[in-house]
Amino acid sequence: MTNRRQSKVTRTTRSFLARLWQMRRVLLLIIPYLILFGWLFSGGSRMDVRPGEIYAVPGNPAWESPDKEHWFGTTGNGADLFELSRLAMASSVSVAVVSVSLGIGLALLVTMLFVFDGGKKRFEMLNAASRAGFLMPSMAVLVIFTGGSGGSLVMAISGLIFVIAFHLCPVLTAWFDEGEGGFDVLASYALGLTRREIVMNRILPKVLRRLIGVFAVLVPVVVLVEMALSFMGLTGDRLSCGAMIAYGQVLIIEAPWMAIYPGILASLVVMVLSLLGWRVSAALRTGNIPGIF
Amino acid sequence: MALLVLIELSFCVIGDSDRHVWLRDSYGPVPAELSDKGVSWGGLVHDRMSATLPVLGLCLSGVFLVGYNWGVLGARLRRFHAARLLSAAFSAFACLPGFWFVVMVAIYSYFHWQRPGFANDVVVEEGPDLLSWWNACILALPAMAAAVGWQIRAVSGVLERELSRPYVRGLFASGYSDEDIFYSNVFRRSLPSLLALSDRTIPALTGSLIFEYAFRYPGMGSLLVESVLLQNYGGIIASSLWMMGWVSIFVLIKDCTVRFLKPDWTS
Repeated sequence: MTNRRQSKVTRTTRSFLARLWQMRRVLLLIIPYLILFGWLFSGGSRMDVRPGEIYAVPGNPAWESPDKEHWFGTTGNGADLFELSRLAMASSVSVAVVSVSLGIGLALLVTMLFVFDGGKKRFEMLNAASRAGFLMPSMAVLVIFTGGSGGSLVMAISGLIFVIAFHLCPVLTAWFDEGEGGFDVLASYALGLTRREIVMNRILPKVLRRLIGVFAVLVPVVVLVEMALSFMGLTGDRLSCGAMIAYGQVLIIEAPWMAIYPGILASLVVMVLSLLGWRVSAALRTGNIPGIF
Repeated sequence: MALLVLIELSFCVIGDSDRHVWLRDSYGPVPAELSDKGVSWGGLVHDRMSATLPVLGLCLSGVFLVGYNWGVLGARLRRFHAARLLSAAFSAFACLPGFWFVVMVAIYSYFHWQRPGFANDVVVEEGPDLLSWWNACILALPAMAAAVGWQIRAVSGVLERELSRPYVRGLFASGYSDEDIFYSNVFRRSLPSLLALSDRTIPALTGSLIFEYAFRYPGMGSLLVESVLLQNYGGIIASSLWMMGWVSIFVLIKDCTVRFLKPDWTS
């Protein structure tokens, strides 16, 4: 008669496969993300490209309207606009990913300072600050901050990080409060676990899981914000779809494609990122996040 | 106070300006770049505010009428995931960069209607000024798209949460009709929560007024951007205070209404 008890390796493998099966929706969503990011960054990063130079009109402009060879047409210097738009989108997406990651990290760090306090009014100060800050539109704050500090990419990213963190803090406090009411948390208190153990092992993992959904939803929004700032010339002389549209609108009559096509590509990329973000958010049950921008 | 700190931090501490916000010399008359009519700050704010109010009026009408009505409809038809379907068009439109949309309208009107497309190109001197309403609509569309999509999902979410409560099953088991349960019980009970959502989109809507700059529309949003680019504190403070005042009034009205309906309400 054989022993029916499974070995440790089999049990671990089975539980690992079961975990993967539970996460199948999220894992499937990683594939389109990889495809999109792979395409965007396939040409490498060229941070030295200046939109002012590529949109400069020489005495005898060599621009061509869109055709089979150049889908988006060419600039006055003969540069392919499709390739430039792709580089610009890669740059905007990079800025958004960095800003959102650091913004979420900062919000979590600030909230964690108050989480270990067991009092009911522990988040009162954070929520009061949030209520006061709610009155000032985030876009206006960003315009003043980036414009006043000289209009550089570093300042734009810093501004985005602080704005995202500021508006995410009350969301995180609500999630931590929500987590405190779970049956497992009450049972943990009854069993005599310390507050630190309960927060770290019971409440925090649930919040962290939802933060992935927040990241996925916020990235396309921040891409749009970054493009709006670069359109106004507040992120420095750097290749971005916003800056390309700003330079292109000057040439509306001579070469209208210079303003039209970068915007089409930007809209498509943002649409794909938004769709993926909603799916990730739905798969992880993140819930409706209040609009920041 | 926070606004002054933000300006000081941005322009003087991080930026290279030596004009501090507390110095009287930092403020002066309206520069010619902001208005060529030689008006005072009060006159400039009045002119810009008159231009912006139609845009905000259209945005708010859209958000409240479409957002609430379609949100309720989405909850009513929740079996068909109607909230997602109804908000999809607005959410898709919100993926377009707002500044690009207004530039596209300008290009289209130049090539197809043979008239300059930006808002500052043509001034109507006689007859009804339909053109200014057209310009306001162009600016209101991208500003309200994201807000309407969010409002539909939020309103529907509140109603669906109320619908999942145990008393709804009890009412259904005791023979109440679907309409009776939804409109007479669920909707009525969730009215304070629905009203509490009304101010959530206002800061984003007000912030999106900066697209006025892209459309060369002489409103409060473009006043903010132009003042920032000119490093003019007077314009920045005037436009920011106006935006904050606008949001504050809405929050106050919402709080008073919700407290009136449900005195023990906590956000």
